[in-house]
Amino acid sequence: MASGSSTLRAPALRGPAALRRPKAFRGVGRSILLTLPIALWALLMFSPAFQRAGRDEHIGAAVVIVFMTALFFLMMRTGETYRWRRIFFVALGFLFPVGFIAALVAERGTMSIPISRMVSGDTPFCFMVTPSIILPAAFAKTIVFPGSILPTASNPHSIAIMIGLWFALTLVLGKAWCSYACFFGGIEEGFAAFAKRPKLHRFVARYSHILRLVPWAILVFVVLVSAAIFEPVYCMWLCPFKAVTEFPAVRNVETAIQMGVFVALFLGLVVVLPYLTKKRTQCGFFCPFGAFQSIFNKINLFEIRFDRTKCVDCTLCQTSCPTVALSKESIAEGKTLLNCMKCGACVDACKKDAAVWHLKGTPVAVKPERARLLFLYGAWAMATMFGGSILANSVATMMHWLPWK
Amino acid sequence: MLGLATGPVCLATCGPVVVPWMMVQPRGLRGHSRQLGLFLAARLAGYMVFAAAVWLVGSSIPRAWVGRTWLMGGIEVLLAAALVFYAVGWPHRRCAAANPAYAQASARHGSMGGLVRIGEPPRSLRSGALALGFLTGINLCPPFLVAGVRAAQLEHLSAALVFFVCFFAGTAVWFLPFLSMGFVQRTPAVVTVARMVAVLLACWYGFSGCSILIERTFYG
Amino acid sequence: MRARILSILAYTGAGFTLLIAACVPFVLMGVFSNVVAHAGLHIDSVYTGGAIARTIQRDGYQIVVQEPVQPRLLERVEPFVQIVFEPADSLPARVSDEVDLNGDGQPDVRVSFSVPVDAGAKLRGDVTALNGGYVSLVNVSDESFSRMVVRTGNKIVVRVPVNRGVVAVAR
Repeated sequence: MASGSSTLRAPALRGPAALRRPKAFRGVGRSILLTLPIALWALLMFSPAFQRAGRDEHIGAAVVIVFMTALFFLMMRTGETYRWRRIFFVALGFLFPVGFIAALVAERGTMSIPISRMVSGDTPFCFMVTPSIILPAAFAKTIVFPGSILPTASNPHSIAIMIGLWFALTLVLGKAWCSYACFFGGIEEGFAAFAKRPKLHRFVARYSHILRLVPWAILVFVVLVSAAIFEPVYCMWLCPFKAVTEFPAVRNVETAIQMGVFVALFLGLVVVLPYLTKKRTQCGFFCPFGAFQSIFNKINLFEIRFDRTKCVDCTLCQTSCPTVALSKESIAEGKTLLNCMKCGACVDACKKDAAVWHLKGTPVAVKPERARLLFLYGAWAMATMFGGSILANSVATMMHWLPWK
Repeated sequence: MLGLATGPVCLATCGPVVVPWMMVQPRGLRGHSRQLGLFLAARLAGYMVFAAAVWLVGSSIPRAWVGRTWLMGGIEVLLAAALVFYAVGWPHRRCAAANPAYAQASARHGSMGGLVRIGEPPRSLRSGALALGFLTGINLCPPFLVAGVRAAQLEHLSAALVFFVCFFAGTAVWFLPFLSMGFVQRTPAVVTVARMVAVLLACWYGFSGCSILIERTFYG
Repeated sequence: MRARILSILAYTGAGFTLLIAACVPFVLMGVFSNVVAHAGLHIDSVYTGGAIARTIQRDGYQIVVQEPVQPRLLERVEPFVQIVFEPADSLPARVSDEVDLNGDGQPDVRVSFSVPVDAGAKLRGDVTALNGGYVSLVNVSDESFSRMVVRTGNKIVVRVPVNRGVVAVAR
């Protein structure tokens, strides 16, 4: 039998757990107490928005403060992480394109990037480009991206700002970026949640040990070829999210092929396959930036571990993992694989409390809730700061469209 | 000096081919030194062929030479095929009796499908290094052409050949860091990723080569 | 004992992580951004054009001629020269200028385009090569990175391909 395959029938999961924890994990008062730091942080992050003119911005900020605080409260109250995090993440994934596309259309009337914008350095920098630019930047001090190093009036998302932000967030989150910061992953997580039962369960189970290596191969490919041809290869050829953000204007056969690839990858990896497999197929089986972020899991202090004294090898954790970051071998060793996004799905799914949050250097399964809290404070603070600001902007944008205004 | 100065160019041009090829080899500094030596020797052979051809033509090769793009397109398509054949090992021998080492490795680690065979490399290491080295050696990248222009202006064929040997030596220095790949642990995952990279690169070179050839066919 | 020390270190590290998280929006992001900004990096000249070679003054506007951009490694771009007409607001309705690109005192190309009233309208133009060093363009807009006549902000950017038969373009 091939390693990593499973003969279990796909459980009908409406969330990460087939059996739920008791509804109340912690009392209301204690939950509120633990939520207070996040509430204060959210107020601190969004109070400048209340000083700015614009009722829509005020509403956007208020919605996000309540939203993020409420979700964190529910995390504390129920003891579950995945379900509440997913609500935020899916909202982020679906609302980010709303605000982004609206801004593009308002500014230039189209989602496509004309060459004139690239020449003028007005293309906003996206984190996904980071692996592509490393080697040319290191060896030739050249950024192979049509943006601007410093922020300008027409391009506040300059390279320096975005790389600085990415690095700061990565120091705190590591690979958890893919669960708490990435504004694209929520789209496929949303489509993965639609189906009650996965249709391609056996395929994923049988080939997961190969599929999870594909992002690494794409990462190496992108890094090498970008350095050879001095082009951001992932951006120009492989990014599925170009279909819902901005893309080079179609002006010849090559750009038409590129557009076709973007749309095909988006429909396949972000819409159809997540629906059929209930997995984050783009994130787990394709995204080179995710593979790149996995490297930072080595230095991040937080992880998920398995208490072998409690584990009964039911493989519920493996089935519930949205990015197949668990294998039979890794569970036997009590660990996740390097591509674990720390979404908490396996911890919430485990009926025996064998899957636990863990702080490296401390004994496994001793005070796991403390490790979870320490991790969540940092992760949710970053999610509120970064993802929350995107949500606030999108909500404000949608408020502009309200017919009764 | 020209070789040393343009070495990074050669590194970036040939790196995408060398990296996955080296990573599918078994671990070990000695084996890697042998493979890199074969690769560079074949590359040198390509250089010598080009040097002789350039000198015999007897004039500088303008960058606008139409034949150059036909040649580049063809070489890229061949490189794609060579990557698939040698680094990926497709089409591969299915018979375990013909390759007992593969059968043992498969039994140990489990079959992983046609693309991702583990254990023994599927093809002769020597012929792979020679093929990939020669194809990258005759790939007409800009520094190569600059060297060709200078060589064509030399009085004797032997001088042109010596010039290219020196040019090769300068560029070869930049390939020495690839030996460090001999120390990287060869888990099945690493070898599988290397093969996948080879497939992707083959797709890239194939697409690039076909684009050039199609453009030449229709637009001249 | 060792386990105790490790635990202390682990919780200290966790505390530092939270401290870093708190500092991200106020300090860290700015610090890292400044590091990147001062790292001596520059945008690839395929996007920005080469360094400014010379400026030619005209009546009410100026023409900025930039250094030729040669493709690097396997870069899939023709070599080109970028010419910038600025400010676009001050340009006459019809521009037809002969421009010396290589600084030898002789005009190398004639650039012709009409400046639309609407700043957002697509621009089209012609570039006629006056010698064999450059490639003529007819009715070009934004064909490729090496062939374009486009408006960016208050500038008109023209890119003229350098003839590949020319190994080097002298200044």
